[in-house]
Amino acid sequence: MDCVNCREPMIVLEVDQVEIDYCLECGGIWLDSGELGILLDDDDIVAEFLEKPVMTNHVRESERLCPECEKNLNELLVDPDNGIYIDRCADRHGLFFDRGELKQVIGLFRTETSKKVASLLKDIFRGDKID
Amino acid sequence: MWELIRANRRKSIALFIVMGLMLMVLGYLIGEAYWPRGGGVGGLAVALLVWGIWSLVGYFAGDSILLKSSGAKQVTPDVHPQLFNVVEEMKIASGLSHMPKVYIIDSPAPNAFAIGRTPEKCSIAVTAGLLAILNRDELQGVVAHETAHIHNRDIQFMTYAGIMLGTVVLISHMFLRSLWFSGGRSSRYRSRSGNRNSGQGQAIVMVVAIVFAILAPIMARLLYLAISRRREYLADASGARFTRYPEGLASALEKISGSKEDLKTANKVTAPMYIVNPLKGKGKKLANLSSTHPPITERIRILRSMAGGAGYADYQSAYEKVHGKKSSVLPQSALADKSAVPVLIPGQEEMAGAGQKSSRREFGDVVRAVNQYLFLFCAGCGLKIKVPPEFKKKQFPCPRCKTQIEVPLAEMATVGAVLESVDQGRQETQKDYDMVYRRKRSEWESFRCNCGKTIQLSPHFSGNYLDCSNCRRKIKIELPQI
Ligand SMILES: [Zn+2]
Ligand SMILES: [Zn+2]
Ligand SMILES: [Zn+2]
Ligand SMILES: [Zn+2]
Repeated sequence: MDCVNCREPMIVLEVDQVEIDYCLECGGIWLDSGELGILLDDDDIVAEFLEKPVMTNHVRESERLCPECEKNLNELLVDPDNGIYIDRCADRHGLFFDRGELKQVIGLFRTETSKKVASLLKDIFRGDKID
Repeated sequence: MWELIRANRRKSIALFIVMGLMLMVLGYLIGEAYWPRGGGVGGLAVALLVWGIWSLVGYFAGDSILLKSSGAKQVTPDVHPQLFNVVEEMKIASGLSHMPKVYIIDSPAPNAFAIGRTPEKCSIAVTAGLLAILNRDELQGVVAHETAHIHNRDIQFMTYAGIMLGTVVLISHMFLRSLWFSGGRSSRYRSRSGNRNSGQGQAIVMVVAIVFAILAPIMARLLYLAISRRREYLADASGARFTRYPEGLASALEKISGSKEDLKTANKVTAPMYIVNPLKGKGKKLANLSSTHPPITERIRILRSMAGGAGYADYQSAYEKVHGKKSSVLPQSALADKSAVPVLIPGQEEMAGAGQKSSRREFGDVVRAVNQYLFLFCAGCGLKIKVPPEFKKKQFPCPRCKTQIEVPLAEMATVGAVLESVDQGRQETQKDYDMVYRRKRSEWESFRCNCGKTIQLSPHFSGNYLDCSNCRRKIKIELPQI
């Protein structure tokens, strides 16, 4: 799979049966809905989780394309204070985080299920210096 | 065993000849209907020519066409070592002279088939979905069934019968269509000819041709299916005998039939080749006449009724028990083999994946391996990293712990070389290998072939042999001594 952001081939990281597509060029991360499904073990919770990051009503079409369906991803403003956006497929195929965004986004996870994802991501990217 | 193959062949050849006669009659009648006086011979010639050309294509390229059309990719032992071990075991158990080529189909629908011209040039293809849901005993059952098709000389025969069926269908179809478009014209031609008698005779020929053109494809299909269903029972029986463990195949069939996935790359011609009908939901109503396979529940019940032993006679009596009548499903020569084949009780090794999670993961990994991903482990933190073949960096820092990870690009090249040498078919001669390398540990390691070429071994490599990409030496890889 190629990176949504810079089109370089992404590598796949596997932790605790979950796979995460990671771009070494730009530090981007793609989490697809299937992986979230394994992580959360429940399709309803996955659907909910895919809706959760929306903190405001701001949704804008971005230039980036979903690696699964090739449709434009939507930009979601998840942290108005710091102006952080993440990209989400309109058909909920997955989420894309730019480098550094993840750490900030992790701080925003509040619900129990979201925390599960947060702790896993923290484990994988524990050495990730935001720079 | 040769007796069995011959008997199997004799029975099928009778059906084969009937199909051939149908093809000839069809060609003759159509020719006669269109060009009275002498056209029949021309029609016959055209029918045989079509069949001959298709057979030649089928003989020289049939297996590669069918493998390609089903999306199968040839793989090396490191992609799925267990599968190769099982194929090797069954090759030995069945007494095949050559190791079949191994293909994996990138599909979640569990299924498998065997194909090939001769036992020397044959292939076994399994889907990634099959590998994900079966444990070792079940996989062995499926591979044994496919090896049996190769051993019993089924595959070549089925290919020819399939081509004959295709020809009958095609010619009938073209004839009936041409009538649809030119029906009016031919009757005008007849009335203008003025000769009432010959016109009437001509009309009768036409009617017979039409009736035959409608019936022939149906009859040919039923015959084809009759051959293929018979061969399924025989392959199940041989498979049980090769593994000496009927339960392995029974439980595999149970798991496969439980799957809801459809195999998208299968079609009407290839469907009878699979171990289980890949086209679900179709042809269920006419289960007995028109289904490509015997009912799977029945196959499972027969295998599970083989209480006494795993021989042909045991299969036959289990078949009678399930059917409640004395009809023979296996050739007499198989039944004459009265030697007792005791059932093995295998060790409970490696039961299938702990659940959906791991089987999904395993499926993904098999598909990646088929697509030539490299599987790396970070030396610092143990993170498992999968690198796609288009990845060009020589090294990169682990995203988790920042330890530098080397990408053995040489290995990527080796995969290609091994693929090539597998393609040329392994020459299993008296001398089994040219040199031996004993692994130090199950990690990345490299060693020098006698020709000077450095060869990389991945932690996952667990085949028994490797071919040097430079000098083609066959190198025996021994496991580290613990
Ligand atoms: Zn990137
Ligand atoms: Zn999408
Ligand atoms: Zn079969
Ligand atoms: Zn690491």
